[in-house]
Amino acid sequence: MSTTKKGNGRSIAEINQKIKSGDVQVLTAEEMKKLVESSGVEVAYKEVDVVTTGTFGAMCSSGAIINVGHSDPPIKIQRAWINDVEVSHPGAAVDLYIGATMMSETEPFEYGGGHIIEDLIAGKEVELRATSYGTDCYPRTKLNTTLTKDDLNQFYLLNFRNCYQRYVCATNSRDEIIYTYMGKLLPRFRNASYSGAGELNPLMNDPDYETIGLGTRIFLGGAQGYVIGEGTQHDPTDRFGTLMVRGDCKQMSPEFISGGAFTKYGTSLYVGIGIPIPILNKGLAKKTALRDEEIFTDIVDYGVPRRARPKLGKVDYATLKSGKVTIKGREIKVSSLSSLKKARKISETLKSWIENGAFYLSAPAETLPTNSACNPMKQTGEIVFVNSVAHEAVTCSVDEDIKSVAQRIISRSVNHVVVTDKEGEIKGIVTSWDVTRAVAEGKSKLADIITKKVFTTTPEETLEAASRKMAQHHISALPVVDRDKKVVGLITSEDIAKLRGR
Amino acid sequence: MDRILLRFSEENVAEPITSQVILELGIPMRIVTATINSLGGDILVEVPAVHLKKIVKAFRDKGVIVKFPKLIEVDYDKCFDCGACPCGLCVDACPARAITLVEQHRNHPK
Repeated sequence: MSTTKKGNGRSIAEINQKIKSGDVQVLTAEEMKKLVESSGVEVAYKEVDVVTTGTFGAMCSSGAIINVGHSDPPIKIQRAWINDVEVSHPGAAVDLYIGATMMSETEPFEYGGGHIIEDLIAGKEVELRATSYGTDCYPRTKLNTTLTKDDLNQFYLLNFRNCYQRYVCATNSRDEIIYTYMGKLLPRFRNASYSGAGELNPLMNDPDYETIGLGTRIFLGGAQGYVIGEGTQHDPTDRFGTLMVRGDCKQMSPEFISGGAFTKYGTSLYVGIGIPIPILNKGLAKKTALRDEEIFTDIVDYGVPRRARPKLGKVDYATLKSGKVTIKGREIKVSSLSSLKKARKISETLKSWIENGAFYLSAPAETLPTNSACNPMKQTGEIVFVNSVAHEAVTCSVDEDIKSVAQRIISRSVNHVVVTDKEGEIKGIVTSWDVTRAVAEGKSKLADIITKKVFTTTPEETLEAASRKMAQHHISALPVVDRDKKVVGLITSEDIAKLRGR
Repeated sequence: MDRILLRFSEENVAEPITSQVILELGIPMRIVTATINSLGGDILVEVPAVHLKKIVKAFRDKGVIVKFPKLIEVDYDKCFDCGACPCGLCVDACPARAITLVEQHRNHPK
C-alpha cells in the first residue's frame, strides 16, 4: 500500500501528520454511519480521517505467554499449574502459555486461564506450581512460588483467533436445556443468543481488509497492541474473517480483559479490541457506513451436535440488537453474549487516544488474506450415526389396553414400546418394567403408565451423542424421530453394547 | 410486601387465574414483571405479607406453581454489560459470575 499518494486519496502518513498537529478528524463507526446518512459519502470522505471500531466478547482462542525467570537451582518445567489451572509449557524451560479455556482442577467451569490473565493484569498474586523430570543442566524437579505481573519478564497476550467479523445466532431444537459456548439455550427454541458488535465490529468496517493486517496498531485490552496476521479458521469469503493479535498485558486493564465462565461449557477470556480504520479513499468512507440492517447472519440449531448444524434462517444485527427474533414463526428473546456497551466505550476510547495524539496509525506490512478457506478436518476413523444402528420401533396407541401391549412385548421380544398417534407422532414410551409395575399395582389403563416426556434421538445424531444421552438420563432406549416428531425407529443400549463388542 | 413467583404451564395459562384469586380474596397484588405467552410463563407479584399464606394456597389450589424467589444481587464491578441474563436464565447464564441470589428475610410457607 502506498503511503504517499497525493491528490487521489489520503495516506496513513498524512493522517499521522494530522494527529501530530492535532487536526485529525475521528469519528466512531456509529457516528460515521449517521454522518453518511445525513450528508452523504462525499462529505464524510472529505471530513473524516479515521473511523474507530470496537468489540468486546468471549474469545476462547486466546492466551498469554509469560516468562517466569529461572529458579536456582534451575528447572526445565515439564508440567505447571497456576492457581490450580494447568498451563502449557511449550518451550525451553520457564516460558508458560496460559490458555484461556484451560480449567482449574479444583474449581472447573468456574475459574480458568482467562481468569488468571485477568487476575495478573489486575495486579493480583497467583500461585505457580511446577514439576519436572530433572536433567543435568536443569536438576530441579519441584517448584512452588507466588507471582505477580511485576515478577514476569514478559507477559504478552498472544491470541490466535480473535475478533470474528460476525457470528451466528444460536438456538436449540432439543427437548432439553443445552449449555454451549453460546450460553444456556432453552428447549424447543425458547431463546436464542448471538455475539458481536455488528456495525461497530472492526473487520466489518473494512470488509476487504484494505487497511488491516500484520503490523496494524490496535486497541487491545485497554492498551496498544498489534494485529500479527489472520486468525486461525480465517474465512474471508464467507465474511467470517478472524485476527491473530499480540499485546503487552502489563499495560492492559481488567476493564477490557475479563475471565468468563460458561455453565457446563467451560472458561474463556473476554477481550476488548478496537481497530482504527483510516479513510484512505471514498470506498472506505462508504464501507464504514455499513449499518446493522445490512449485516446478516444465520440462525443455527445448536441442538444438533454435528459440524454442519442446521440453519433455520437469516437475521440481521439490527433485529438481534432489538432483543427479539422470529424462529419457526414465533417471536423469541435473543440475548447478546458480547457487550455492546463496552464495544462503544472501546471505539470512543480509541477515538480520544487518536484525537489526543496518544495513538498513531500504522500501515500493515502485509494485509490479511481475502481468498483463503477454512476446511473441515480430514478424518481417518469412521463415525457411526444413529440411522445405521436403529431398528424398527414396536409401537402402540394410547387407547390400547395394557394386556395387548404386554402381549406385543412378548411376541416381538422387546422391552420398549413407543406410543404414537395416528400420524405416527411420538406421544410416549412404555417399557416392560412399566407393564410389570402396572400388574403389581393393579392398574389397567395404558394412559396411566405411559412416560410422556420422552428423550429422543434423530437419525443424523452420532451414536456417541445418543449413548451419552442415555447415560445422562439413566435410560436404556431412545426412540428415533424425524423433524416432525414422527417415530422412525428405536435404538437401545443393547444395540450400542453389541456394536462395541464387535 | 413479599414477592412470589407464579409459574403457569401451557395447560393453565389460558385461564384467568390471577384475576380469579384477586376477586375471590379481595386482596390487591402488584405485578412486578410478567414473562408469559401461550406456552406458559412467570409472573412475579408483590403481595401484602399478612395475606401471603392465603394467596399462596389460592394459587396452588388452582394448579399454579408458586415459588419464593430469592432476591437478585448484581456485582456491578464484575458485570461487563453483556445481555446474557434475560429473566429466568440469570445466575448460571452470567459469564462474569456477577449475579448471586440472596434469601428474602422471612419464613415462607413451604
